[in-house]
Amino acid sequence: MARRAVDARRPDAQTEPAPTRGGSVPLRPLTILAQDPAVRRDGKILMATAQITAEPLMDGPCGARIKVVDYDASRDRLYLPMQGGYQQGGDWLDPFAGKDPARFLDDPRFHQQNVYAIAMHTLGVFESALGRRTCFGFKGHQLHIAPHAFAGPNAYYQRENRCLCFGYFPGRDGQIVHTCLSHDVVAHEMTHALLDGLRPRFIDPSSPDQAAFHEGFADVVALLSVLSDRAIVEQVLIRRKVMRDRRALISPNELTASALKASTLLGLAEQVGTSIPNGAATALRRSVALKASPRWLEDPDCEEPHRRGEILVATVMDAFLAVWVARVASLGIVSRGQCDGNRVVEEGVAAANHLLTMCIRALDYAPSTDLQYVDYLSALLTADKETVPDDSKYHYRQIIRDAFRAWGIAPVSHTGGDGCWESFDRRVSYRNLRSESLRRDTDEAFRFIWENFDALQLAREAYTVVQAVHPVARVAPDGLIVRETVIDYLQILTVRGHELRALGLQRPEELPTSKEVRLYGGGVLVLDEFGRLKYSIGNNVAKVARQQARLDYLAKMGFFEYRSDQDFSRGFFARLHLARARDRWTPGG
Amino acid sequence: MVPTSVRVRMYQVGFGDCFLLTFRYQGRTKPRHVLIDFGTTAAPSGSPSKLLARIAEDISKTVGKDPFAVVATHRHRDHIAGFDPGSNGKGPGAVIAALKPQFVVQPWTEQPDLAVDAKAPPGFKGLAARQETLASLQAIARHAVEVALPKLQRSFQHTVTAGQLAFIGEDNIPNDGAVRNLMGMAPNEYVYAGKTSRLASFLPGVKVTVLGPPTVKQHAGVRKERARDPDEFWSLQGKALGVGDKSGSTGNMALFPRHGQTTGGGAPLWARWIIKSLRSAHGDQLLELVRSLDTAMNNTSVILLFEFGGHRFLFPGDAQIENWEYALGQKKFTELLKNVTVYKVGHHGSLNATPKTLWKEWYPQAAKPLAMNRRMTSFMSTKAGKHGSVASGTEVPRTKLVTALKKWTRLHSTEDLEEALYVDEIFAVRD
Repeated sequence: MARRAVDARRPDAQTEPAPTRGGSVPLRPLTILAQDPAVRRDGKILMATAQITAEPLMDGPCGARIKVVDYDASRDRLYLPMQGGYQQGGDWLDPFAGKDPARFLDDPRFHQQNVYAIAMHTLGVFESALGRRTCFGFKGHQLHIAPHAFAGPNAYYQRENRCLCFGYFPGRDGQIVHTCLSHDVVAHEMTHALLDGLRPRFIDPSSPDQAAFHEGFADVVALLSVLSDRAIVEQVLIRRKVMRDRRALISPNELTASALKASTLLGLAEQVGTSIPNGAATALRRSVALKASPRWLEDPDCEEPHRRGEILVATVMDAFLAVWVARVASLGIVSRGQCDGNRVVEEGVAAANHLLTMCIRALDYAPSTDLQYVDYLSALLTADKETVPDDSKYHYRQIIRDAFRAWGIAPVSHTGGDGCWESFDRRVSYRNLRSESLRRDTDEAFRFIWENFDALQLAREAYTVVQAVHPVARVAPDGLIVRETVIDYLQILTVRGHELRALGLQRPEELPTSKEVRLYGGGVLVLDEFGRLKYSIGNNVAKVARQQARLDYLAKMGFFEYRSDQDFSRGFFARLHLARARDRWTPGG
Repeated sequence: MVPTSVRVRMYQVGFGDCFLLTFRYQGRTKPRHVLIDFGTTAAPSGSPSKLLARIAEDISKTVGKDPFAVVATHRHRDHIAGFDPGSNGKGPGAVIAALKPQFVVQPWTEQPDLAVDAKAPPGFKGLAARQETLASLQAIARHAVEVALPKLQRSFQHTVTAGQLAFIGEDNIPNDGAVRNLMGMAPNEYVYAGKTSRLASFLPGVKVTVLGPPTVKQHAGVRKERARDPDEFWSLQGKALGVGDKSGSTGNMALFPRHGQTTGGGAPLWARWIIKSLRSAHGDQLLELVRSLDTAMNNTSVILLFEFGGHRFLFPGDAQIENWEYALGQKKFTELLKNVTVYKVGHHGSLNATPKTLWKEWYPQAAKPLAMNRRMTSFMSTKAGKHGSVASGTEVPRTKLVTALKKWTRLHSTEDLEEALYVDEIFAVRD
């Protein structure tokens, strides 16, 4: 079988669909599942259309960033892709557009398209929020996706194999459940891959929060991605259209926080969850149902990464619901005690979009190592403040602060009264620097650090490396563009057990005196559009309290039994998801 | 009546367990023998081909017509393979059965034909589900060894994964002959944490406490979790692989019979790198699954504590931390565990089978090693290089543990035996 580039002979002769975004980026609509095959309206599977960058595609589909290879390792089968299916003559086509989903739901080629389109859409969401291109956490440009990688109730991202693997398993009715058909699961796994590219040290063993963050963040992105799609929200929410003056009406009783919490929209992986025998007949995860309590911090059960991750999800989704309900309340009643359904959907989608952008953009304002929830909270607030200085209209930041406080999470101590990171106010030197290079070049950024070790309060004796320099252009809701440069650096101190005392640290008894341990520090330097340092956000490699907490955590988790960070990190997501699949938990339950 | 001495005999079975405890009494009272486990998955290097038969004969010679009981801590092959009478009915299991044990002690999870209903004894709620899980675990292991392993072995890249998969997987494959023999050779007693065992009346003057395994209810109490029953996961995993309960299985079902497909070997150039990677990932995933099921099976181990004449003998089988959690959370048990004099090292010296809290109880940080004749005696039946890897810090026996055992206890290890069939030691009653 030959793999063919679509119209590779005459790439400039391809007929692209009409541009629909920004007047310059041509998009290709592709049919996907709105959620999964179990989510239906009037008995019909809910479908959606993902608008994907119209790139040249090879069979697979395979584009510049995503390469779908449908190999099933359990059966040793390669399911062949659509061959030339996205091209007909000079046109790019969606082979499944307008067709009855019942006819193609068991077609592996639709599964291939579904994972490609959702992954590409998630990539687009990240790049749009960050205002720049993103890279993966491995060498190479293309992430492989295997939609039917193995038989088993699991799905995971693997950095070492540069791939997302999706499993399949028999459901209650004997029908096969494909995890690749769950919008939430695909978006979740793609988020792991993207987050790993942005913050590769987040899978290092560090603290309960960092272990949990990947999982919680991936759920947040998956949920908000669905909620920010107007067509999907409309299909799910406005189940029974009561039309009056061409408006769909919806009862206020369906728009309370508790009613919305019970909605399909707020659960993850509906079909996967309901297909597990003897399991609760609900979505795989419904973190939003968790009841907020500051006491969870002391609960040892919450040290399990997958459980702690759900706390983050519950917090962000509580904030989302609070914003949505407040925005709906301001709409009022339009007719017969009913609300305008279309406006309700619009408000929900706008809130989800805003929060999703905040959550992703916050990564650029978060330390690159040893992340804790308190850091992420300050990063969230700062990310929003940079593009929306005036929070008085929808009070996103106040609502976010309140939602985190309900779980006992307050912004870190070295932040201002509003919880945002403090601006950098010490003198820095720009001597020997070239302003243009500083915005693009890692060597120049390192020179900036070199010239300002003291002002930045970094440890000179640590190995220091600038991992990336990102020029960004963030679009604010009012259309203004905020230009920044994000310099991402890492510091490493490798010391033997007996040398910890000299750094003010107490050696855990599990760590032999002669064994080496790595201490990490790192963060971001955010420059404004004129190249001046605006924020220095990071964890100092020499900060005793944080490093001691990390060492104690590593000892408790048995990390010193492993030979290296790589041994610990290998198979991280597969293990995490395996543990999660075997456990459903409620704090205080 | 109190025993005057007890002899602990540890047979050299390689990677496995076989312990014969002989309790001697004053006067004309016959000695009483308890055989705890009899199995291996990797015989010692250079051992005779009929090692288990030789051991069975030695046990037979030692026990003779004395009162005799058997404990099978759990159903792993390295603990029960020796109970298999073989296809001709003359194997080592037949020799043991001929000794007419008075009863066989096994974990509650082995109780056959007990439905989950209101009539089930209080401690046995959830038995059917747990048994189904154990069956799924073993079926998954069989699939891993018989179906997945040959594929992995065809690729030279996966030798480490394949070796581990083979060893752990084979240990988990059902040994039907041994299981049937254990059920048929004598009345069975199925025990759980806190249950009074027949061993107490069988061994006059000896207090026997069952510390594990916990029942589903006991364990859930420890974990404080409203858990998705882990049994469901294994059942689902088994069905996905097409093993175990055949209802709803996808194992042999073609996923997309009407669509074009080819084997991985016939894959086009553009797919080969990722196919190799996916095979590797699948091997790792299966190994992870098999390790998990191995742990789950280990955690059905019976944990026994024998007390007599100033001694406390602890025999935990292969119990790992999840099994230990219940006992270590019960004050009445932790008190008993304080002054152990003989310790059968859990799970052949693996990382998670000697709980840190237990070890710290025995040897607080400020403690110093005692004189050799006052130390705890430890027995470790193991074979290095078969389970886990040094590179990942999971080797069995764990180097760090062995070092600690040598430093703090008087260690008997089968690794130190050369051609001897066993090592033993007699423990007299203390004043």
